[in-house]
Amino acid sequence: MNNIYLPKIIKVISTNRESADTHLIRFKFASAADQREFNFLPGQFMQVGFAGWGECPISICSSPYESEKYFELAIRDVGQLTHKLNGLMIGDEVLARGPFGNGFDVDRFTNKNLLIIGGGCGFVPLRPLIVDFLSGRLISRKMQIFYGCLNEDTLLFKNQYKDWTKHAELDVILDKPSAKWQGEKGMITELIKKKEITPDTVVVMVGPPVMYKFAIKELEKKLIKPENIWLSLERKMYCGLGVCQHCAIGPYYVCKDGPVFSYSQLKSIPNVI
Amino acid sequence: MQADMADIAKNKLRQFASSLMEDYFVYAPVMHDGKLTAMEAENCKDIDWSGQITYNPWKEMFTPHTERIFDINGDRLTQTKGTQPPVACLGMNILDLKALALYDEVFSNDIYYQNRRKKIVIVGFSSDWPNDYKKFKVFSHDFERDILHHVSFDIFIARSKGDKLKYYSGSAKGRELLEKYGITKFDHIEFEGAVPISGPDKRMVSLVDKVENSFDHSLWDTLDKICLACGKCTIACPTCFCFNFSDKIDPNNSRRDRTQGNCFYNDFSKVAGGHKELDTVKKKIYFWYVHKFVRIPKEYNLPGCVSCGRCVKACPVGIDIFKNIAKLSKIK
Repeated sequence: MNNIYLPKIIKVISTNRESADTHLIRFKFASAADQREFNFLPGQFMQVGFAGWGECPISICSSPYESEKYFELAIRDVGQLTHKLNGLMIGDEVLARGPFGNGFDVDRFTNKNLLIIGGGCGFVPLRPLIVDFLSGRLISRKMQIFYGCLNEDTLLFKNQYKDWTKHAELDVILDKPSAKWQGEKGMITELIKKKEITPDTVVVMVGPPVMYKFAIKELEKKLIKPENIWLSLERKMYCGLGVCQHCAIGPYYVCKDGPVFSYSQLKSIPNVI
Repeated sequence: MQADMADIAKNKLRQFASSLMEDYFVYAPVMHDGKLTAMEAENCKDIDWSGQITYNPWKEMFTPHTERIFDINGDRLTQTKGTQPPVACLGMNILDLKALALYDEVFSNDIYYQNRRKKIVIVGFSSDWPNDYKKFKVFSHDFERDILHHVSFDIFIARSKGDKLKYYSGSAKGRELLEKYGITKFDHIEFEGAVPISGPDKRMVSLVDKVENSFDHSLWDTLDKICLACGKCTIACPTCFCFNFSDKIDPNNSRRDRTQGNCFYNDFSKVAGGHKELDTVKKKIYFWYVHKFVRIPKEYNLPGCVSCGRCVKACPVGIDIFKNIAKLSKIK
């Protein structure tokens, strides 16, 4: 019997400071066989950590089509373990289990108008969808991207916006930008209010719970159906396999049945959003 | 005459326990500090044969409060090789066997649980139980044979009203032990899976939607006011199995432990940055009931509450799960 809690060793291939508090780190498995067998869906996550430091769930932010070679995690420095992960150097080893979770059901996005909404570091798991759309592997009619952040320093993937805007529409809005900021200012809901969104749009949204609450209200005003609003939840978890109970919400486990849910699945569960 | 029969039965049971003690460390119901406690029996005379439910659940035997799962050597984890002494759990009530059947499902892929579980001999016991059983109302089975086929044990001993003892084997190991201990007359019960072919328990099924959609029911506001969120119910509950991992760095003894969790405690749902899913007592106690009456039934088709009533006895403010479920079951 396999030990489901035994992590594998992964190694840092590159690490780049992506924003004031986040590093984008590219990993590959120490064992070539582990790397070959590794496969994931956008929206899935890994449990990463160190011996003596525990584990934490981190969304994968690279394209599944690169999974034979590497995978990437954008890790925000929010606690002791993520602080240590942010200090990693090339060649350093990390322990990892996964991938876990259901991921985005990309078949539901095919040939649809797709609206990607990211809030803060919640933007991370959305990147594979954008990358796959740009490379023609995710075929949707149109892609709109709304990205809300605190300020310029916390913006992720800045050097990729030029590529993104070749085929997708990108709108960035900052809550508390510097005086130099020329773009939109305010909360992400402002973008939803202002921009044209067709009622048949499929929305994929990742951000903090408070963003979901207000963004969903605005999306409903645009006549988007609950079953066309997809979002990813963040919860405390240990096992990643629907046993330890920490991530349970209503009848679901975020680690196993999620982290991606449609709003229609969640709207009757009290206190989730 | 009746007293004689009772003595004969008691002697036989004692003899059986005594034989078992020669081969195993025997955990059994023993009166301890005035409470019937599942604990190691040092003398077969100490074992209680009333068939009553022990104050504590048996889960410590299967999922210890703290369990070392990895040794930490430098930056590597290696699976801790535990040694499991030969243990027999003697006198497990039918309700506890139901809880164990659920654990077997929940931890079916868990190497630590499985390694321990397969070495523990389970001896179930019931005393006059068909009558007793009807008092427990959360699920609705009626007959002995409906039940024994769906719980996992090595040996089961049923004492009927006239103090007759009936022995069952539930595994090859059980059969072997019964024969070894000179018991030749017994029936074999083949485990047919925890969920009967006739389908999951009807009462359990009828409660799922009611509990799931009950958050606005006044019951939870009432409980919010009286529940202390002390978590004793979860410790007493034979179907509470949540856990945490925690790493300990200690010279020469660094390890990753698995420890039993508690959904009433403040850090249960707290994520980095401080956000907490369960931030009121109302949410916590509702979460606990959803675990028992929604999530487990949906996932395993098994009741997440075996009606043992331990939580009622343990609760310092007298919260009664039977009364609460009765209220929720009235929801139209």
